[in-house]
Amino acid sequence: MTFYEKELNRINGIIYSNQEQIETVIGVRSYINNNYDNDLNLDLLSRFRFVSKYHLLRLFKRHYGLTPRQYLIDKRIEKSKEQLINGMSVTETCFAVGFESLGSFSTLFKTKIGKSPTEFQKEQLSRSKLDSEF
Amino acid sequence: MKVTLISIPVRDQEKALKFYTEKLGFIKKKDKPLEGGNRWLTIVSKEAQDGPELLLEPGPNHFEPSKVYQDALMEAGIPYTQFDVNNVDSEYERLTELGVKFSVKPSTMGTTKYAVFNDTCGNNIELVEEL
Repeated sequence: MTFYEKELNRINGIIYSNQEQIETVIGVRSYINNNYDNDLNLDLLSRFRFVSKYHLLRLFKRHYGLTPRQYLIDKRIEKSKEQLINGMSVTETCFAVGFESLGSFSTLFKTKIGKSPTEFQKEQLSRSKLDSEF
Repeated sequence: MKVTLISIPVRDQEKALKFYTEKLGFIKKKDKPLEGGNRWLTIVSKEAQDGPELLLEPGPNHFEPSKVYQDALMEAGIPYTQFDVNNVDSEYERLTELGVKFSVKPSTMGTTKYAVFNDTCGNNIELVEEL
């Protein structure tokens, strides 16, 4: 066994020894991936998984480095990019991916992507036009 | 300030280009001749062609500490870097069929599935899937 594998085993034993916890957070992430366009209901999730809401939050962050809400926002922004590239309007995209206000969507998008949804879409659509011309 | 490039030390640029494009599925982006037969050679992911570029740099051939570091990582089985995949198991099957040698078969640690292979240019590379 290489040094790397020995180290992984050692670390695994220390921080990843609770398989039930791991399965719980994998389930939560999967739920978010499939329901990002709905309201995130941590109460519902924690009831479903038989853990307290706060415990769930802590566990998720421990394994994924982000809170469920942060992960949800990233997922929605990622999906919104896909829709904008497909030509969906900014307003329609906003609501399609689960945001509730155009203002907060645009601000979040600009913060994370570095440009507004409109600028992003314009850029992407003109790029694909250029690609098809060459 | 943006992160747009990561560098991978390789012993042979042409061999690395072939391996990374033909086996791993990356696409060549920039190829600029420099001095001494060296090239500024970058590749990008097929699924993210305007994403970060991977620079295949021949550092170990020209700078002893770079060679020493690369060899030490290799010896310890430590991957030089990692790439995200949708499914480690199917990438493992696909790459094994293509003759790629894995030092670590698909394994799970916490919420991550991973495997480690040899890029034939001096590095172990890790594939990672988030569960």
